[in-house]
Amino acid sequence: MTTASVRLELAAIEGVHLAHLLDEFQDMLTADATENAGDPAIARLAPNPYPEDAEASRAFATATHDDLLDRRIAEAAVVRAALSGFDETQDVLDEQDALTAQPILIPAAEVDAWLRTLTALRLVLATRLGIVDEDDLDEDDPRRGVYDWLGYRLEGLIQSADELG
Amino acid sequence: MSTPISTPAVDEHLDLSAAPLEPWQVVVWNDPVNLMSYVVRVFRTYFGYSLDRATQLMLAVHHEGHAIVATGPRETMEVHAQAMHDYGLWATVRKAPQ
Repeated sequence: MTTASVRLELAAIEGVHLAHLLDEFQDMLTADATENAGDPAIARLAPNPYPEDAEASRAFATATHDDLLDRRIAEAAVVRAALSGFDETQDVLDEQDALTAQPILIPAAEVDAWLRTLTALRLVLATRLGIVDEDDLDEDDPRRGVYDWLGYRLEGLIQSADELG
Repeated sequence: MSTPISTPAVDEHLDLSAAPLEPWQVVVWNDPVNLMSYVVRVFRTYFGYSLDRATQLMLAVHHEGHAIVATGPRETMEVHAQAMHDYGLWATVRKAPQ
């Protein structure tokens, strides 16, 4: 068995930004359940599989909701740890440094954690942006650029992961 | 062991046809966020579907709004739905229409 991995090149400014997003994401997931109650982003991350059966949906949520969020926290931590190399990077970079690419090697066993975490970040952003169907494009919202950038990076990662087998 | 002094009434109507193994379904619904390549990969790697089958299911989700991705016992379908939720897909569980 070879130590297969996927190579991801992130510019310093991307790595710093992604690390910030992950910190916010983890704060959101670890927030008090009462604080998160009714948050549509949490609802999207843990959908109701029985929309027409309140009792079954309660039973399912009781049995699975916290575990699902715990798995998300653990996977986000895997991705965050891989970005620790960016922690020393200053928030204010000169243009050259900001665009310098740093390779990240993602072991095959951690690829799914990356894919699921980037997907989850996009789901949260989409909820905050009010993207409900393909036509909801608010090009003026700066978060829209972040959403599209994550999609671009995710697409590349999926391609590399598919090539890995 | 004591001997029962009375035999239980056995006039219960045991209609076995009323308790069949009813199939349940996992349904994945369209959303504007998940990338097509991602959905195909999830169907391929999680369910072990071929690239063709996974692509067909993804296209059904995209164009028809939803697709049945698995059928079987309810408990198993709930496990699959949980896995879909882990991947960020919007999945529900329902009894297969008769």
